[in-house]
Amino acid sequence: MEILNYVKKLEYLQLTRNLNKCVLTPILRCASIASKRDHNETETDDFKPLNLRHVKGQSNIRRPMRKIDALPPRTQQMAIDQDWGSVWPGPRTFHPATVPLPLRQGYVKKGETIPNKYGNAELMKIPNFLHLTPPVIKRQCEALKKFCTPWPKALDSDEKCEKHFPIEVASSNYCHSSPSIRDPLSRIITVKLRLSSLKLDKHAKDKFLRLVGERYDETTDILTLVTDRCPTKKQNYDYAMYLITALYHESLTVEEWEKLKSEADMEYYNWNDSKSKINVEKIFGKESKNISHIDEYSESISNLMNEGKQFFYLINLYA
Amino acid sequence: MANPPHMIAHRKSWNSWNTSNLDGGLRPSETAIEDVFIRKFMIGTWHALFVSEIIVKRQHNIIRIGGIIRRSISARKMYFLIGYTEELLSFWLQCPVKLELQTVQDKRDVIFKYI
Repeated sequence: MEILNYVKKLEYLQLTRNLNKCVLTPILRCASIASKRDHNETETDDFKPLNLRHVKGQSNIRRPMRKIDALPPRTQQMAIDQDWGSVWPGPRTFHPATVPLPLRQGYVKKGETIPNKYGNAELMKIPNFLHLTPPVIKRQCEALKKFCTPWPKALDSDEKCEKHFPIEVASSNYCHSSPSIRDPLSRIITVKLRLSSLKLDKHAKDKFLRLVGERYDETTDILTLVTDRCPTKKQNYDYAMYLITALYHESLTVEEWEKLKSEADMEYYNWNDSKSKINVEKIFGKESKNISHIDEYSESISNLMNEGKQFFYLINLYA
Repeated sequence: MANPPHMIAHRKSWNSWNTSNLDGGLRPSETAIEDVFIRKFMIGTWHALFVSEIIVKRQHNIIRIGGIIRRSISARKMYFLIGYTEELLSFWLQCPVKLELQTVQDKRDVIFKYI
């Protein structure tokens, strides 16, 4: 109250208007707030008596629920030619006030109406692709284009690619909905290699194939190495490269014990080097090329030894 | 809610969306426990406000929590609760958590069938 009086006195002093604005108005506002506070405190002075016992007739008066008015949905104000990509820029749960589509979802009996989008939990559950509309994808591709490099012109055909890049390395990355980006399966490396791209002679190729065993596919001439014994992708890749190098150099060397290779160890049966030829020549007492029907005989023997005694094969051959 | 659980994927969809229970999915048990925790936390924090199931959707390391709530508290309180929930859950679960809620005027708005 004292301040107010003081201010009134000041006004009598006929200060300039400018000073009035700068100094007096804030002071006046403070004073009025203070006086209001005083007034409120006097109003709430009488306390409600605390009634511990439940007295009949006295019931708690339930405060009526305050109704909170919400704004009308945004979809009603949307322009027809709006930029949808900026309305829905990223993946998000469906919201009926943002999507201006008359959507309906839910299972009902025949003849009933499917519930609409307002208050529909089913629409919120399903993943939506509202952020990936065709114009948005186009825009994102345009933005990414500057980071791309053109495909080398010299590699215009698959044959050239295979010739210049004979090794094909494949690995997988996995996306999970979990806080971890690690997946043990992503360590596996698959290396594919065309055997004709390696410079191997007859002995080396035979040794190479014996070393790789089942990993070589004869029909496509492709060697497939799968490495998964190391914990990381990089280590497995290095190991695969080491394996190829080691296989190649190992198959090129000729060991002392390889000279002990006998007829039974040959990779395929060659009648001209076989014991059968020597025996036939011994029986007839002349060279094999002079014996009649020797070609059919040698062919049959070779087929039998190379293809094995497969029943169907023999049936086709002799039936 | 009006359909029994065996109707999931026929007439209604899952309340939890993640890749943990797919073939080769990682950490299925942790995900299930976390989802239970999220549901309990949401029910307690948004007390008597949810009128639908709580939907927990996981994308990479983001957890999106969806649901329908009543408009019985003021927008200011709702903003506070959203920030509070997101902050605490992302601290506990160590990943970004997003709350994507929808409000309805009355709880009868979400009922479309009486059993």
